[in-house]
Amino acid sequence: MAETILEVKDFGIEFHDHDRPERVVEHVNFTLQKGEILGIVGESGSGKSMSALAIAGLLPRKKLKKEGQILFLGEDLMTMERHKLRCLQGDEISMIFQEPMTALNPTMKIGKQVEEALRIHHPEISAEERKKRALTWLKNVEMDDPERVYEAYPHELSGGMRQRVMIAAAMVGNPQLLIADECTTALDVTVQAQIIRLLLEINKTEQVSVLFISHDLSLIRQISHRVIVMQLGHIVEQGDVEQIFNHPQEEYTKKLIAAIPQVEL
Amino acid sequence: MKHYGKKLISMLLTLLAVSFLVFAAFEIIPGDPALSKLGDNATPEAIAALRAEMGLDRPFIVRYLDWLLDCLKGNLGESYSYHMPVSQMIGDKLPITLTMTILSMLLTVAVSVPVGLLLSKYAYSKLDRAGYVANQFLMSIPSFFLGILLTWFFGLILKWFTPGGFVSYKKDFGGFLGYLILPSVAIAIPKCAMSVKLLRSAILTEADKDYVRTAYSRGNSTMEVLYRHVLKNAMIPLVTFWGMAVADTIAGSIVVEQVFNIPGIGRILLTSISHRDYPVVEAIILLIAFVVVLMNFIVDLLYRKLDPRMRRE
Repeated sequence: MAETILEVKDFGIEFHDHDRPERVVEHVNFTLQKGEILGIVGESGSGKSMSALAIAGLLPRKKLKKEGQILFLGEDLMTMERHKLRCLQGDEISMIFQEPMTALNPTMKIGKQVEEALRIHHPEISAEERKKRALTWLKNVEMDDPERVYEAYPHELSGGMRQRVMIAAAMVGNPQLLIADECTTALDVTVQAQIIRLLLEINKTEQVSVLFISHDLSLIRQISHRVIVMQLGHIVEQGDVEQIFNHPQEEYTKKLIAAIPQVEL
Repeated sequence: MKHYGKKLISMLLTLLAVSFLVFAAFEIIPGDPALSKLGDNATPEAIAALRAEMGLDRPFIVRYLDWLLDCLKGNLGESYSYHMPVSQMIGDKLPITLTMTILSMLLTVAVSVPVGLLLSKYAYSKLDRAGYVANQFLMSIPSFFLGILLTWFFGLILKWFTPGGFVSYKKDFGGFLGYLILPSVAIAIPKCAMSVKLLRSAILTEADKDYVRTAYSRGNSTMEVLYRHVLKNAMIPLVTFWGMAVADTIAGSIVVEQVFNIPGIGRILLTSISHRDYPVVEAIILLIAFVVVLMNFIVDLLYRKLDPRMRRE
């Protein structure tokens, strides 16, 4: 039996920033095993990104109410003290985002950003060792010249390179869980394919569990072991990737799959 | 490097233009230095003789070029009323005003950055609102009035220093610095309030950007995010303001030096204007223009240091 990394139980989010409370996520239940890639697919507004941010501990504490449990290695992230949560962020739980163009600090060298998680969580590691590990990861994400990239600033890199930098920065602390929130959406198709291939490779070699969030069903199909389909804050259906794509049970899932653009031959 | 070459040339052109305007301004405004030197009872012959001696009878453009060449050689002329080289007069007084400027800028930077970070961390809280009110208040008090208040409170009530008891830096440097603290505070307070306001709004603008969320996702605390990531990005408007503040402090030293009885650049500027001591006034205005241009150059350097995207030629 595989080790359970993440267990989300009856999770819900309610916004309180308007006159009337607004429920954006409700009754979400799922588990993620070690080394597994779980795809969450849904349209915008389905609550998939909200759930991802909540798991990463990045939702603001004010103006919204959360319920249920998010158990990470058995500990509830939602009731955990802030400083304890911070110890996990970047070290055990990492995240890559949709916009590689803006997700990196424009005034900080790439190297410093890649090794930041190590600096925060492992002060015992020397500066040289940190640099060595950052360079290793820059190489792992297929940078041609890691030394140059290490000294570069974000604006000197292309979008695809920046997203690979984000992956390196997320992986440098050997996390248990990598959350990828629409991480290929802003990239063009060939770069998308490279990122997907990289994530699959990293998942295999590092045994990191991946929560892959996307609106793109064909990407989800390529990368995921299991799939969750979300709509309007609810889970519509979840199951193995083959089952979801070949034998969808719910009407909504069937419609989604039917809507994947097909190349006529 | 090419960028700095261009900057340097434009700096020199600016100074040249200022020098011409300054010289021309004293040509246009009424008042004759020879007349004011000799007094109202002087005979026209005596005035004409003095004008010839001072070189005032030559055409404007000749005098301007003459003066400009002398300035380039480092000879700023001789004061009409003190009969000593202007460069020596300014050289004696400049350390006083410069020290006061540096002290007030150090205070402004050292206080406004931590306070700005703190107010940003607790943005929209009660502390932040109290800070906002205090800021508006301090920003709107002119430095000279603050100076009077500070002199009254620390000088007359607490008796921590003797009002008007300026100590020359040549005699006792420690005492000199001590005397300059209050005037520097008076200059720094409104500038500090302005800096805090600028920094807070710049930080809050930056705080919505994606890289801040990335920084949080790596386990940074709020203060670490602000200090390590946001601050550098939020410094641009602040650096611009500080550059202007330095030039403003030197030009504005007239008032504060008067309140605290400090014999600095502001003081000689004031007496020279009332005595129509044109060589001194011209030299000081050129000096202020030089500081403005120099600060612009330094600010530009700092921009490039802060934001690598500006380093592209």
